[in-house]
Amino acid sequence: MPKSLPKTSNRPPAVSIVGCTVSFGGQKVVNDVSFSIPAGSVAAIIGPNGSGKTTLVKAILGLTTMDSGQVRIFDHLIADAHPMIGYVPQRLDFDRRFPITVAEFMELARHRHLEKEKIDEMIDEVGLPASILKQQLGQLSGGQLQRVLIAQAVLNNPDLLVLDEPASGIDIVGEEAFYDIIRHLNREHDTTVLMVSHELSVVSKLVDTVVCLNHKMICFGPPKKLLTTKGIGRIFGDQTQIFEHGHTHVHAYNSTSATKRKTTTKKKKY
Amino acid sequence: MLLLEILHFPFMQRALLAGAMLALILSILGIFVTVRRMAFFGDGIAHASLAGIAIALLVGVSPLPIALAWAAVVALAVWWLERSTKLSSDTLIGILFTASMALGVVLMSFTRGYQPELVSFLFGSILSVRAIDLTYILIIGVIILAWLLLSFRQLTYMSLSEDQAIVSGVPVRLQTIILYVALALATVLGVKILGIILVSALLILPPAASRLLSSNFRGHIVMSIVMSELMVLLGLSISYLYDLPSGATIILTGTSIFLLVALTSRLKR
Repeated sequence: MPKSLPKTSNRPPAVSIVGCTVSFGGQKVVNDVSFSIPAGSVAAIIGPNGSGKTTLVKAILGLTTMDSGQVRIFDHLIADAHPMIGYVPQRLDFDRRFPITVAEFMELARHRHLEKEKIDEMIDEVGLPASILKQQLGQLSGGQLQRVLIAQAVLNNPDLLVLDEPASGIDIVGEEAFYDIIRHLNREHDTTVLMVSHELSVVSKLVDTVVCLNHKMICFGPPKKLLTTKGIGRIFGDQTQIFEHGHTHVHAYNSTSATKRKTTTKKKKY
Repeated sequence: MLLLEILHFPFMQRALLAGAMLALILSILGIFVTVRRMAFFGDGIAHASLAGIAIALLVGVSPLPIALAWAAVVALAVWWLERSTKLSSDTLIGILFTASMALGVVLMSFTRGYQPELVSFLFGSILSVRAIDLTYILIIGVIILAWLLLSFRQLTYMSLSEDQAIVSGVPVRLQTIILYVALALATVLGVKILGIILVSALLILPPAASRLLSSNFRGHIVMSIVMSELMVLLGLSISYLYDLPSGATIILTGTSIFLLVALTSRLKR
């Protein structure tokens, strides 16, 4: 098993994916996708609903079987890369009446060699009070639960943090703080972050690399270059418009699907 | 006084020892059954074991080992079908349990005369725990307990969030197979005392009562074990004292304890 990698710029790519194809019921959900995410960067997979984003993330993490293709995490096969990865799922589908405290839930992920105090440290780092450790997991709000999931995912100091729609179910104020945590983890801990996101303005401010997906990879590169009106039209459909209002939000509005995507840009200290 | 009288008889010693072990393993396994929402599993496996018992009675060999092997095969079939058909375990158990029970009924029709062993398997009996049965219960029980002790963290993690458990390196596929087989074996071992029809209640009642009293996971495990031991040992004693069927008495004792706990916890709020 590989140990945690030294935080240097000479590291191999955090994620290297070549020719990834995943099918369900004979339909190609992800079709021949190849890209590479540099170590130490923040990357986002964006695309319309049902474009295969979650499936691609699951393929990267070895949670779904690929028809073809290869994934390497810091030049290791996924089976050998588990100690290097932290994962925050889109939602935790569990029995909310199950009597488990936050401390006990955090403990499930703690590697044996880590001291128990690390749990307190990570809870503090994601901006939650120590008293939350005694609360039952099922009694947390959506925002608190997402922070606990992040604290648990980064507990073992992973080199790669993978988040699937991390801000889903969180209110707008919560979103701001949430993305500040991601930024902090990347800058202070040099954690490579790969996330699925709908939040276009967050993506444009927070990430270094964007992977645009609509079953196939449509584009790949820095957000400033790709997230133009024309670029967004290519990803989400030509009917999509971008408009800003008030002081905090940017929306991509697709008049065909009538889907609103709202984002938060105001930076907030947590 | 009553306890001393009960312990005087070898059949009661065997029944109490077997009951104590079964209460322990079924109460812990029951926690995973309830959190994974597979309460039907124990019921299905117990009913499915009828085919194994029928085969053994037809061939003229001891039913318990055949029933254990048969239940393990059914559990593996459920796991395999779950993966290959994407149907829920409850649906698959529903299909396999009725098919297996139907096979058992057909096979039973070939046996002639009254089958006392079959009746004890259906409804459970404290008299039915022979020395060899106790040996099976203790050996398999200790193996399951050792596995539970070593795998408890992994089992809890994968029961709450399977994807996160896989990413963190838990061998989820292997542990799921072992969990299904352990559940099948523990359920069939419980059939001797509780009977095919009632055994699954011991997977559900103790964790359900414990949930009402627990605010953390550690407390939930301890309370589930305490409740289970109380239900089985008290139920067996009442069964002996009033000459009642053991399985039904244990379940009625357990249900009474559950209702008492539910009432108390409601009054506390």
